[in-house]
Amino acid sequence: MSLNATYDVIVAGAGHNGLTAAAYLARAGRKVLVVEKNDWIGGAAVSRSLHPGWTYSNCSYVCSLLRREIVRDLDLPKYGLQVIPYEGGATFTRDGDYFAYYSDHHALHREMARHSRRDADAYQRYAQAVMRQCRFIRPFLLRDAPDPASLRPRDLGEMAYLVKKAHGLGPRELGETLRFWTMSIGDFLDEHFENDLIKAHLAGSGIIGTGLGVYSPGTAYVLLHHYMGDIDGGIGAWGFARGGMGAISAAIGADFEAHGGTILKGAGVEKFLTKDGRVTGVALEDGKVFKAPVVASNMDVKRTFLTHVDAGDLPPEFTRAVERFKIRGSSAKLNIALDRMPSFPAAPAHASFLRGDLHVSQSLSELERAYDDWKAGRVSAKPYIDMLIPSQIDPTMAPTGAHMMTVFVQYAPYDLAQGSTRSGVNWDDAARRQLADCVLDQMSVACPDIRERIVHMEVRCPAEIEREVGLTEGNIFQGELTFDQLFFNRPVPGWSQYDSPIKGLYLCGSSAHPGGGVMGAPGANAARAILRADGVRMKGYAA
Amino acid sequence: MTRFDAIVIGAGVNGLVAAALLARRGKKVCLIEAARHAGGMAGLRPGEGPALAHLVHNLSPAVRRDLGLGRDWPFALTPLATVALAEDGRHVVVDGPNAKLADGTAHPFAAAHAALTERLTRYGALLRNMAETAPPGGGMSGIAMMRQGLRFARTGLSLRAMGKPEMRRFLQVLLSNAYDLILDEMSDGPLAGLWTADAVRGAALGPRSPGTVFSLIYRMGHGGIVSRPEGGMEAVIAALEEAGRKAGCTLRTDTRVARILTEGDRVTGVATEAGEILSAQVVLSSAAPLTTARLTGLDHFDIEATRRLRNLRARGTVAKVNLKLARAPALPGVDLASARMVFAPSAEYVETAFNPSKYGEMSEAPVIEAVMPDPGAASPWLSLLVQYAPADLDGGWTAAARDRLAQIATRTLARALPDLPGLVTSAEVMTPDQIGAATGGPGGHWHQAELTFDQMLTLRPGNGMGHYAFGPSGLYLCGAATHPGGDVMGLSGRNAALRALEDRA
Ligand SMILES: Cc1cc2nc3c(=O)[nH]c(=O)nc-3n(C[C@H](O)[C@H](O)[C@H](O)COP(=O)(O)OP(=O)(O)OC[C@H]3O[C@@H](n4cnc5c(N)ncnc54)[C@H](O)[C@@H]3O)c2cc1C
Ligand SMILES: Cc1cc2nc3c(=O)[nH]c(=O)nc-3n(C[C@H](O)[C@H](O)[C@H](O)COP(=O)(O)OP(=O)(O)OC[C@H]3O[C@@H](n4cnc5c(N)ncnc54)[C@H](O)[C@@H]3O)c2cc1C
Repeated sequence: MSLNATYDVIVAGAGHNGLTAAAYLARAGRKVLVVEKNDWIGGAAVSRSLHPGWTYSNCSYVCSLLRREIVRDLDLPKYGLQVIPYEGGATFTRDGDYFAYYSDHHALHREMARHSRRDADAYQRYAQAVMRQCRFIRPFLLRDAPDPASLRPRDLGEMAYLVKKAHGLGPRELGETLRFWTMSIGDFLDEHFENDLIKAHLAGSGIIGTGLGVYSPGTAYVLLHHYMGDIDGGIGAWGFARGGMGAISAAIGADFEAHGGTILKGAGVEKFLTKDGRVTGVALEDGKVFKAPVVASNMDVKRTFLTHVDAGDLPPEFTRAVERFKIRGSSAKLNIALDRMPSFPAAPAHASFLRGDLHVSQSLSELERAYDDWKAGRVSAKPYIDMLIPSQIDPTMAPTGAHMMTVFVQYAPYDLAQGSTRSGVNWDDAARRQLADCVLDQMSVACPDIRERIVHMEVRCPAEIEREVGLTEGNIFQGELTFDQLFFNRPVPGWSQYDSPIKGLYLCGSSAHPGGGVMGAPGANAARAILRADGVRMKGYAA
Repeated sequence: MTRFDAIVIGAGVNGLVAAALLARRGKKVCLIEAARHAGGMAGLRPGEGPALAHLVHNLSPAVRRDLGLGRDWPFALTPLATVALAEDGRHVVVDGPNAKLADGTAHPFAAAHAALTERLTRYGALLRNMAETAPPGGGMSGIAMMRQGLRFARTGLSLRAMGKPEMRRFLQVLLSNAYDLILDEMSDGPLAGLWTADAVRGAALGPRSPGTVFSLIYRMGHGGIVSRPEGGMEAVIAALEEAGRKAGCTLRTDTRVARILTEGDRVTGVATEAGEILSAQVVLSSAAPLTTARLTGLDHFDIEATRRLRNLRARGTVAKVNLKLARAPALPGVDLASARMVFAPSAEYVETAFNPSKYGEMSEAPVIEAVMPDPGAASPWLSLLVQYAPADLDGGWTAAARDRLAQIATRTLARALPDLPGLVTSAEVMTPDQIGAATGGPGGHWHQAELTFDQMLTLRPGNGMGHYAFGPSGLYLCGAATHPGGDVMGLSGRNAALRALEDRA
């Protein structure tokens, strides 16, 4: 690989969003260099083999949000990307029963009626309400968030689009939308359902990755954030990327390289270089310097501006706003190599829902209590877990007959309390063992033999996700998804369109609108903004 | 049968205001109250001691003007300083933008406090503009639309006049949670505790809940001053009552409306529990929305509307505890006679106090606001608002549970006022379930319905019901469950009355 000293654009970080931005820019004819601190690419969309024979999706583990416009624009299937939908899921009870979720309407109705006839009948109204919200929000993901204080034509145009869309809903539906966006997932579910187990099953998506509880206002939006994706046109459907989530980053990276882009791994950025208020390039940790008039940072907004930029280069109000940005770690993860399929005694033989997402939270109040533990700096005594065994569908993840399990855990605090201190450094081996133990206990509700099945296990606490992926505090979305940090407020008011007070320095990661998840939208939108500054209109569906 | 132009159900703050305003505009009005006295929630008394509401934050000058009360209220309002009580004796005395320690030394976050007060008061003034008008939309007449358009334009203009950065910050802060807003500016302690306690007072929310900055600003819309009405809340109620009487409004207490009468899709009057029929083309009800719908007959509301009313969240979290004291307590360096005391030693404490209420338990270490309504008395009452005491307490609010709440409150205050327990000679308690039962507002919620974004503006009390008109033609809601919400403020009643007049014009 031959490296130049100067490029048109440098992208700092090879997360899937950095790579997406880079690929669009390379396709527009820009000479682009991506520098990544790790020896691998993908950021939180990564597959790694930590035990011979098994592959883990170490961080993110299921796919739905990835914009199909981006998949098409970047020709990702050509580079091997294949997303296999999974169907259904289940929540196991402590007394040996379960509630199973099926995508088949009749099967779901029958199963719901087994727990509550009333809820079975209410489900359709619930699903329609969520679906209407998904349809409403989807067009905004690949658009800029207008600055409500600005009178620039583009802002007014985007504002007009928003008003038109809102107006098109009609007053009643607009009211429903405002309500949905601001209420808690707990209240929303309580309005529709009576059965604790059903509510607990449906609530999970409202709290994944966030420092809020099921009864915190705004969590209905978080649920939406997890439902607004699609697979093959099935809105709200989720699937596995064949070969793990890293396959997504690998495909985007391959498209980028096929269009002349260069990726430099093991190349951590020490500093964004500036001169007279303009970015001029990056200096790496190893002392190398690359120059470019445009630099896009895939790091979160705090890391970008508080760690790698001289404070003197930024207006103090901007720095204060970035300091205020909330980016709390609340999630942990276990990745497990299994010698064979664990047993789920409550499930019928060959139950299809075992190929979906499995949980053990019994009620909304159990979930809310898990949040209270987190607030106090403790790992939840009964955390919410989202566990899947992708190797049932994707055999590339484990040796024949063996399996791989991915277990997402909500909540685990970044600043773990120990004695009178609360800090990320309290995450020592003992604390991680304790976390794993507590999660395995939860899992045993569904699969009591889980401990005997373990061949290898990776335990990821928020502090470690921060260290490895660079996600500040281990926050999976590069910043809380609360309404004061969404849309025109993301990442900070006045800077919701990817640029920054330093000319030529852009954000292209999940800290920017529309936020986290393996979605690609912030990356594509940032590329569009960069090209637009040159007077060029980006090509493709995402333009 | 007696004929009126308008009947107002419920003589709480909002019913009193609505009735007086209609009467002043020449309508023949009858105000009907189930209880023996006017005052509603604000005037309820657990026993011998002070009424539930003990302080005034935002009593609306627009109401005073519209009731023709002149430049000043006919009662004295004494502005109070606030003492944020500290367990280590380092109490913080807050007087508007000024915060200092009780020993007279500077508070380390005095500057941050002053800046926050200034900013939030300014933001509050913007919201007040919106509180003084009906929410947008709702099929009003041309003139009303124009007037309302002007008001919102004025809000928009004041926003723009702030300058871009401030306008942007406003749109962010408004949506934030109080815990983060405050702790971004100061480290945690009694001053932060006070701010966050003020943000959640009356709410079934903790300071970490998104939207709590809104409820903080809501109360600061009138300058952020906390005042004690001299003569107690009774003086405020009497003044509103008098304004109505002067305008010729008939007040009938001890009379419960049993049914709201209709003919087809029109309201025709009310029937009282005693069987009397009072007729009127216009009926305004300050009873809770679902209660009002039931009085009318649910068949006047479509399934959708009924479902919304059932889903209205109104879980009260504040209990009243009155402590009779042998003498006034003392704190060195603080004039407790003209102070509001708040026990909320940190923002963390307030959030932690909130936790048990989510599971139907009372806080073992609650947030308390304490005032002496009549500090001159030889053995004064200490009037406490104790939060969180959830309406739906597990096991119910038995006499024993109420006793325990009084003990917890005393014990908690003693953490900062060690001599208090020795001074208490008796206690009376009123819990949200009782408040609900007494006012017909399920849950006994401070604002009749939780004041969160999903129950605000056009969504208050429910989507499609945000313009006071309710069910059959001629029926209006006018209580705190409508826009803009509760407190001893009177704007819901005023806006509703104006809307009813507008429709008849
Ligand atoms: C445990 C976990 C589970 C998740 N599960 C899901 C899921 O199932 N589905 C889903 O859609 N989303 C999931 N997410 C969220 C999603 O993975 C992230 O929001 C998304 O991957 C972020 O992508 P990004 O490109 O914006 O940023 P990142 O992936 O954070 O990329 C940032 C990149 O910058 C690099 N970098 C950092 N510092 C430097 C430096 N100084 N110099 C150079 N490079 C640097 C990092 O190494 C990284 O590669 C999960 C996240 C986590 C952590
Ligand atoms: C414990 C507590 C302390 C408070 N302290 C303060 C404070 O210090 N400062 C402050 O500003 N606010 C305070 N508030 C809030 C404030 O008291 C209320 O928001 C306000 O009083 C609501 O007034 P309203 O007129 O809308 O409703 P209400 O006061 O509830 O009035 C409704 C009236 O309708 C009557 N009614 C109902 N059904 C019928 C019927 N069928 N027939 C006839 N009449 C009927 C009821 O008896 C009642 O009088 C407090 C609230 C509580 C719960």
